[in-house]
Amino acid sequence: MKERAWSDFELYVITASTHHPGRELVDVMEQTLIGGAGMLQLRNKTGSREDVLREAAALRKLTRAYNVPFIVNDYVDIAIQVEADGVHIGQDDIPFEEARRLLGPDKLIGVSTHSLEQALKAERDGADYIGVGPVYPTNTKPGKAAVTTAYVTEAAAQIHIPFVAIGGITLDNADSVLEAGARRLCAVSAIVGSEDPAAVCRSFLNKIGQYSGYAPQSVTIMLNGEQRNTSARNLEELVRELGQSHKRMVAELDGVIVSRGMWRNTVIQPRADIELIQFVGGG
Amino acid sequence: MHEQTEDIWADRYDRQIRFAPIGAKGQARLANMRALIVGCGALGASLAQHLTRAGVGKVRIADRDFVEPSNLQRQMLFHEADALAVLPKAVAAAEKLRAINGSIEIEALVTDVNSMTITAAMENVDLVLDGTDNAATRLLLSEACFARNIPFIYGGVAGAEGMSAMLIPGQTACLRCLIGDEASVEEELNCDTAGVLSAAVDFIASLQAVEAIKWLSGNRNAVRKSWVVADLWRFSVREFTLPGCTPGCHICGGLADENIVQLNLPRSESIARSDVLAHREERKHRLQAGTDETPPAHAWSQTLAVALCGRDSVQVTLPRTFQLEQWQVVFERLGYEIKANRYLLKIGLPDGERLVLFPDGRVLVQGIIDADKALRICVRYLTDPLEMQAEEEART
Repeated sequence: MKERAWSDFELYVITASTHHPGRELVDVMEQTLIGGAGMLQLRNKTGSREDVLREAAALRKLTRAYNVPFIVNDYVDIAIQVEADGVHIGQDDIPFEEARRLLGPDKLIGVSTHSLEQALKAERDGADYIGVGPVYPTNTKPGKAAVTTAYVTEAAAQIHIPFVAIGGITLDNADSVLEAGARRLCAVSAIVGSEDPAAVCRSFLNKIGQYSGYAPQSVTIMLNGEQRNTSARNLEELVRELGQSHKRMVAELDGVIVSRGMWRNTVIQPRADIELIQFVGGG
Repeated sequence: MHEQTEDIWADRYDRQIRFAPIGAKGQARLANMRALIVGCGALGASLAQHLTRAGVGKVRIADRDFVEPSNLQRQMLFHEADALAVLPKAVAAAEKLRAINGSIEIEALVTDVNSMTITAAMENVDLVLDGTDNAATRLLLSEACFARNIPFIYGGVAGAEGMSAMLIPGQTACLRCLIGDEASVEEELNCDTAGVLSAAVDFIASLQAVEAIKWLSGNRNAVRKSWVVADLWRFSVREFTLPGCTPGCHICGGLADENIVQLNLPRSESIARSDVLAHREERKHRLQAGTDETPPAHAWSQTLAVALCGRDSVQVTLPRTFQLEQWQVVFERLGYEIKANRYLLKIGLPDGERLVLFPDGRVLVQGIIDADKALRICVRYLTDPLEMQAEEEART
């Protein structure tokens, strides 16, 4: 599985049966896959081992049909038994080395981290990816202090393996998380607790796409009639790069004024023709 | 006599009526229209003059300031005598405008247009022209216009540059969507930081006035839906398309014509239309009730001190009114230098600052930019006259 581009996923979904009473786990999770989820984890902290095994077997079958990696939370033995693609472990679960020894070198291991220190350790240990959170307070894991988007920014700057921002992420706050540097999101209740998990997944992927589509390196644009190179990914970053954030500006792209609220969603394409004009206030 | 008078002025609008898009019909429409011009400085005076000559039925001008010698270089309605008499700009302008066209109604408001006074200022007007000198008032006007479904015609000028755009509810974005409403941003280019050429003022005022005339004469399809940026010195004139209403904006959203909205937002961002409308309604009620409070900058209850950037003055609004004659007596007795007319009282303080008192409770503290210091000066000099008299008597 590792040979395949498992790391291409952008949206990671986790089960939470208590959020969809009356609806079958497999049905709800299938909706998330229809919506485009790229990685699926079974998390069942309260059920018996038999329950977890039964669910794992069903979800393994489902995810295989959709060609999506399947991860089991905590239960290394069940992961092996149902031929899951890997396990996900928390800071208080089975030690990483032990999990790796049991699973062998080819299975994925994800680690929950709540600080940059833990993230760096997981990376050194050889984790395939890490969870970064909880970004916001969450009912899925009550009582756990939120790490805020500040940690997301740190992870984006210093962690080289894939990281997934998790914890209280909804469509309403996803922009902030993406802005902080996350390119992979995980939502639990926002997805499986919704009436239409597939639609919510699509909306999340839409949002992520707005950020991950950015050109990674600098592009040449026309700025106020002159050629200029910029590594800014969107209009807001360009204004910041130019040191003009503190001024009241009017921004125009290819002849049309861009509303102030759309600056950060306005991707800077190569050869974009941009005018940035300071608002004239005299009268 | 009356007959004869009418005959003399029969051709007043002849050349405008001969302009086909206006015609007799457009001219008649203009006579029934009402425009508000906020700020009667350089842009405002020029705008007022255009609308008055064109025969707009009712022209209301609102301004918080008075005429000074430094205005005469560009503020076309004012004379040296106005500066010498320290006349409020709205009053001095109205006098000239009435002399230009006695057949229309000119209304002068000597007031600061803010969230408390905007309701009265905007009562029964068909559009608002921008002659202000700051973004905060413009944002307030834009919002109030969108709440009332009438156009706001922005104009700004500094140096030899200027900008103008007509913002129309249901058709274009509001000003806040275009420039943001962050309070802490650096002061925009204005006449005090960049100077200003009179010719540039008239250029921008013309851009504004012509759109107003189009709208008010019934030529609504002819209005220019763009943001124009002009630099008369280097000479460049650029025109940018205005975006449509922003879905979800509590000011301009929810009014959007479906065809104009091009933004393809994910579901979560397209706030339900009813929510937006509800918010707008609520906002409108607050604005109309005059209860949309701007939080006071200082704890002195209900007192608002606003530094007029680059103008070396602070405007303090006190929760009281002034009997100017009474205060004149007080300060004369103190031996301070006084300039007075029926609209304001200007007092030269011993330390060099000047206080300008308006009957509505406003005080311009000149020679100072620190709002706190301005407040202290007001507390010191503008406590009750009887107390001051008592203090004075005790001293002598």
